[in-house]
Amino acid sequence: MMRRLRLDFWSGVLVFAFVVIAVLMAWPLYSIFVASVTDNRSGAMTIGNFAQILGHPAYRGAVFNSLIVGTGGMLGAMLIGIPLAVLTTRFVIAGRDILATLAVLALVSPPFIGAYAWIMMLGSNGWMRAWLEGAGIALPPIYGLFGILLVFSLKFYPFVYLMTASALGSISPSVEEAAESLGAGPWRRFFKVTLPLVFPAVSSGALLAFVLSIADFGTPSIVGGGVRLLATTAFDLFTAEMGGNPGLASATSVVLIAICMVVVVLQRWAVRRRDIAGSLVRRPTPQRLRPYAAIVAHGVCYAIVLAGSLPSLVVIYTSFRKTSGPVFHPGFSVDSYTKILGEVPHVIANSFTYSTAAVALIVILGTLIGYLLVRRETLASATLDNLLLIPYIVPGVVMGLAFVVTFNVPPLQITGTAAIIVLMLFIRRLPYAVRSSASILKQIKGGIEEAAISLGASPARAFAKVTLPLMLPGIVAGALMSFITAINELSSSLILYVGRTMTMPVRIYLSVLDGQFGTASALSTILLAATGLAVFVVFRISDKKESAFV
Amino acid sequence: MARVELRHISKRYTSVQALDDVDLAIESGEFFTLLGPSGCGKTTLLRTVAGFIRQDSGEMWVGGQRIDDTPAYRRNIGLVFQDYAIFPHMTVGDNVAFGLKNRRRPRQEIAERVTRALDLVRLGGHAARLPHQLSGGQQQRVGLARAVVIEPQILLMDEPLSNLDAKLRIELRDDIRDLQHSLGITTIYVTHDQEEALVISDRICVMQGGRVHQVGTPWQIYSHPATLFVAAFVGAMNVVEDLPVGTGGGLSLGASPRSMPVLAGRDRVTLAIRLEDMSLSAPGDFARDDVLALDGTVDKVSFAGREAFYRVRLDQGSMIQAHVHRPERRLLEQTGARLRLILPIERLHLFDPATGLRIESN
Repeated sequence: MMRRLRLDFWSGVLVFAFVVIAVLMAWPLYSIFVASVTDNRSGAMTIGNFAQILGHPAYRGAVFNSLIVGTGGMLGAMLIGIPLAVLTTRFVIAGRDILATLAVLALVSPPFIGAYAWIMMLGSNGWMRAWLEGAGIALPPIYGLFGILLVFSLKFYPFVYLMTASALGSISPSVEEAAESLGAGPWRRFFKVTLPLVFPAVSSGALLAFVLSIADFGTPSIVGGGVRLLATTAFDLFTAEMGGNPGLASATSVVLIAICMVVVVLQRWAVRRRDIAGSLVRRPTPQRLRPYAAIVAHGVCYAIVLAGSLPSLVVIYTSFRKTSGPVFHPGFSVDSYTKILGEVPHVIANSFTYSTAAVALIVILGTLIGYLLVRRETLASATLDNLLLIPYIVPGVVMGLAFVVTFNVPPLQITGTAAIIVLMLFIRRLPYAVRSSASILKQIKGGIEEAAISLGASPARAFAKVTLPLMLPGIVAGALMSFITAINELSSSLILYVGRTMTMPVRIYLSVLDGQFGTASALSTILLAATGLAVFVVFRISDKKESAFV
Repeated sequence: MARVELRHISKRYTSVQALDDVDLAIESGEFFTLLGPSGCGKTTLLRTVAGFIRQDSGEMWVGGQRIDDTPAYRRNIGLVFQDYAIFPHMTVGDNVAFGLKNRRRPRQEIAERVTRALDLVRLGGHAARLPHQLSGGQQQRVGLARAVVIEPQILLMDEPLSNLDAKLRIELRDDIRDLQHSLGITTIYVTHDQEEALVISDRICVMQGGRVHQVGTPWQIYSHPATLFVAAFVGAMNVVEDLPVGTGGGLSLGASPRSMPVLAGRDRVTLAIRLEDMSLSAPGDFARDDVLALDGTVDKVSFAGREAFYRVRLDQGSMIQAHVHRPERRLLEQTGARLRLILPIERLHLFDPATGLRIESN
């Protein structure tokens, strides 16, 4: 098969995949890079933009703050996620499935919902602040770094929790028993044996928390209270009313990508030669805690998970309150819903249409590429595999800027169209679909397809009759997860939208900035409902459950 | 049913010569086994015949037709897999019917042939089951039924028994042999298990490093191994490597030097003898011309029920194993005892140490 290039269906797919990646990823990123080393006025090549980032205190501050936010968000997520994972896997905790489900819901809800819900609770007029002050507890202001870190920690802990819990569940109890029989006490055993074994999982979760924290745009601009970060700076520089500064915005984006790349490389280096594949004869059994310890453990677990889901609950509750503009009145009503259905029905329709269209593209190409990577291993497909890592580390803001820079001039002038938003969602989420389809395929033995071929089925028929039906549950689950991320996408859409192509997250963000919490909450509730429904279906068809989401 | 000719097949991967000028003819209706250690090229050869690997050079002919350019799905070759490769989302009946549907046979005919095939592998009445409801042995029977129901020109089996436990393996091995006999289908069978190969095959091809070492009946392979590799791989063999040869073929090994005319003109020789071809005797016994007598000390005796194995340290230095059928009790308590091993010269296998090729006496 590897001997010569054969012009069959799969070579066609390979070529098409390369074209798609070249046009939708390589070209925009190249444009951004070129813009970052170009002087805005003269058009000459310069490193002036980067010099300005390092030289100007405000931009240097943005780099520094971004590092703080990334590291802080990551540490916060670990601080919450690891204990939760240990408690729920090692001890008997009642309702641990509910905890896991709530964690998944917190994970998939849009991050900016958390930001403004926390403002409603802990902002200067927040009810929780008033309530706590009544009890004599004074809290630091939510606006600023503290607020950002609070939101990120509670938003991204499920990555660490779900990955660590799944790794903890696959450590053979014999390993820990061996440590114990060799004289290691519980703490020593945990730090010397258990933790190193789950380190790859912990660090993958932490990496995701870091990259997502540093890339997130909605949260800092809502709750940041003017703290300058790289993501917000890039956005502001680009969209400034009085003629933006594309050179500096691009340079900021390049710095953002560079930081993410360094962190990814560091994580890979840290887990090198750590691929621990144990044979699992027995599964670990959770231990029963003594009563008072059990109460503390339950309290900690439920407090964490409830704090994580609190924003969603607050949003749903708020959406049913009586409101006129920014002011809430006593009592309940569906006014907010009537209002959004009357004023912005196209926004809701857009969100569903764009996400569905993007998911359709993602599923088709993602499945085919996944198949190529697993079943037709060649140098070309390995290259493709590596290229597909790039979208993981390119923040949405950057990708959005890159798309605008590239596609607002011929030959492919599509800014302002629905197509550009769909293509953006498509390229950002394609790698996830490829990875999930590849991992399903790895579980289907290759011999099965050869059996079909030896029985007279052509390769295409063997794929359609045998491989595809076996992949289907995984494909559907992957499609729903792509749908969840697509419909909640804010940062890139915010750069690419025009009035006609506005989506729900964009509308919510703008409403929040206007103080229209009622409208924002009603739209957010619709988003949450769509997301929750998709999660429910994934749970029904996937046997891996929670771990399917990370 | 078809005669298969593989003419000078070679296949090279970047750093490995997987198949090196393999030239074989398999008779119509023959049960032909490719035997060798892992990495010897036997599976590569099988997959080349099946059409999943394209050889770099050489031709393949089946039933008088060249098949090199026929894609795998048009070759009409039945394939049985090591891991069964049963379609998990189809019932047993649909699995067996799959090949017939690809051939667009009438519905009535498919139903009849599926039933017959399942009866043939003793799975009648299981057609509606799903694969995960079957044991490993049953799944492999489905694999067998699925492969033969299309009435292929040749049947290829890739270690079909190696995932089964010992008892099932023997049972299914006999079933496969009976089925192949009754259908008279040309079969190429791949295994690394030499005992399985000896029992099941009409002829065996022993391979190593992508090359064919010997093709022959099980009897020929066992009693006249063509190379030192075959001798050591098939059955247990004592090997005394690289002995010096005196003038006129003189062999100064053991108590009494012997002259072997066949060795005349050679410098060195490697001797091999099967464990069961030696006998034990008291020191000083035997001084006949047609045996070699080697003295040594019993190092260890392992009792295995109907037989016992002696490990003897020869005075000359090397260790040698001997096999005693139906051992008597007193023989088992001889660790440390002196004894003499009697090696009949006609049972010795002689090899050229440089090439590993057999030195024939005529």
